Amino acid sequence: MIEVEDVRKQFGEVQALGGVSFTARDGQITALLGPNGAGKTTLLRTLIGLLKRDHGAISIDGIDPEKDPLAVRRNIGFLTDQFGLYERLSTREYLAYFGELNGMGGAALNSRIDEVSELLAMDDILERRAKGFSQGQRIKVALARTLLHRPRHLLLDEPSRGLDVMATRALRKALATLREDGCCVIMATHVMQEVTHLCDDVIVIAKGHTVAQGSPQELCRRTGIASLEDAFVSLVGTEEGIAA
Amino acid sequence: MKPKFLVVLIKELRETLRDKRTLGLLALFTFMYPLMLGFLLNKTIDRATKPERDGIEVAVIGVAKAPTLMAQLKQRNVTIVDTGPLDEAGIGELLRSKKYPVVLRLSDKFTENYAAMRPARVELWFDSADENYTQRREVEDVLQAYGANVASARLLAHGVSPATLAPIQVQRFDTGTNASRSAGFIGSILGILFLPAFICGMSTAVDITAGERERRSMEVLMAQPARAWELVAGKWLTAGVLAIAGITLELALAHAILSWMPLEEIGMSWALTWADLVLVCVASIPLCLFAAGLQVALAMNAKSFKEAQSVLSIAMLVPLVPGVVISMMELKTADWMYMVPMLSNQTLLREMAKGGEVGLWPVAMTFLSSALAAALAVGFASWRMKSERYVLSV
Repeated sequence: MIEVEDVRKQFGEVQALGGVSFTARDGQITALLGPNGAGKTTLLRTLIGLLKRDHGAISIDGIDPEKDPLAVRRNIGFLTDQFGLYERLSTREYLAYFGELNGMGGAALNSRIDEVSELLAMDDILERRAKGFSQGQRIKVALARTLLHRPRHLLLDEPSRGLDVMATRALRKALATLREDGCCVIMATHVMQEVTHLCDDVIVIAKGHTVAQGSPQELCRRTGIASLEDAFVSLVGTEEGIAA
Repeated sequence: MKPKFLVVLIKELRETLRDKRTLGLLALFTFMYPLMLGFLLNKTIDRATKPERDGIEVAVIGVAKAPTLMAQLKQRNVTIVDTGPLDEAGIGELLRSKKYPVVLRLSDKFTENYAAMRPARVELWFDSADENYTQRREVEDVLQAYGANVASARLLAHGVSPATLAPIQVQRFDTGTNASRSAGFIGSILGILFLPAFICGMSTAVDITAGERERRSMEVLMAQPARAWELVAGKWLTAGVLAIAGITLELALAHAILSWMPLEEIGMSWALTWADLVLVCVASIPLCLFAAGLQVALAMNAKSFKEAQSVLSIAMLVPLVPGVVISMMELKTADWMYMVPMLSNQTLLREMAKGGEVGLWPVAMTFLSSALAAALAVGFASWRMKSERYVLSV
């Protein structure tokens, strides 16, 4: 469970977050919608304790990331907008590296790597070095890294970009499995179709503020617009939609 | 559970060892340095031990015209080689072949002018780009002495004392020895011997900090449950291990070459034993760690991979400065020198090479000064990684 209350963050003159509040529940996939530059990356970085907030409160399963960032990170899988692969390491070595950084090791780590690899259908690239991987293969490896240490919380920044139909389906299946396991998933995305298909809850942020939170149906009802995309645009305000 | 810095260290080392280019450069510097040094010293020794007087060979055009001059040259240990007539191009060719330091050409009217007591012309051809100037000087001296002798004889025949021609007498004394000439050389060699500490880890230090940031994997790494200092320490030790491996190999190779060469011929001494060498290597471990720490800190501070590279290549020159200043100001070895990283290692090695008892204090100082500097650099890098400015730039 991730609870965020009135979080603000300022960089010099720029107000990156001007008051973000939401609750992401366990066993749900929460979409984080917002135009480019709305403050999504800053928000995610604040959640894992890389950035310090100026104001407000964050609690991840009751722990404040500012007070104990390591405890929070041990329980979070973070997929950034970059995959962060190492060209000269094989997928297995890459996963082992991050597994060890998360305190795993030995036979348990190896069997977990096999498990995750099976879940994401990436056995074919497990022993290959990352050099020359396709976009889809890269994101699979990165996703495997995020899931490896069985985090209860997942922060995913556009996990489906660059994926072909098969890989998108595999991703959806993996996310559904995680939801069934009771994980708390926050997923920043721009694909509305994905939100309607997959997400139980939607947070809309714009200009560093939470504009709305609710299920896709609720948002449509509240705005009185049938399609989520149009509802999103109306919530964010067209002006910014164009600026982005 | 493995300590986090060890996890990072092992992964970075594995990745670096898979990079053929970095490994190639490492090997190049490790082997090139001692070999270059050996080659240079070998040449110096060769030149110093070659007896300069014997076997000056001079090519002469028109030997038959001046038998007495030829006799005089032969007496002064100069071998005459009759080449027969040659034009200017031919002479140039002959000089370029480096077989003869000078070529003498007697003019066609030499005999005639000599007999008529008019100045008889002897042409002395030489190549000023050639370094055999001592031999050339030798030949010139013989010619001058010959001229003076003939002049004296002629004056005597006219009843004038030859002494009137020499109002002053110049006598040359050269106190320069091979030892003093090579002293400066030794200083620069020792300065250069420790440079690999800064070279061997450099490209890796840039690659695993600024490079990792530019490849956008740093953010992922920083989001892991590891403290900033653990990540920095792992990266720092990676560069450090490479530098230590490089310098240990290089010093061992240099030691092998230097002990094998007859250095006493040029007034140098290399009185190091293998046990001393181990001590020098151990004392240079903190130097390597300092170099690695400095490089990691600077590379992390740089805005881009390119900036990191250029900053580090400039930073590589800085440790050479104290050594150069000391040798320029001709300062005597003093205790404070052991407190300056790099300079301390150079001083330690120089004192040990002289064969004197150095004692434990300078070794300890050498060790501690660099270790302290290394700790400061790593502390700074860790602090930098935690700062928001750094997080925003990844």
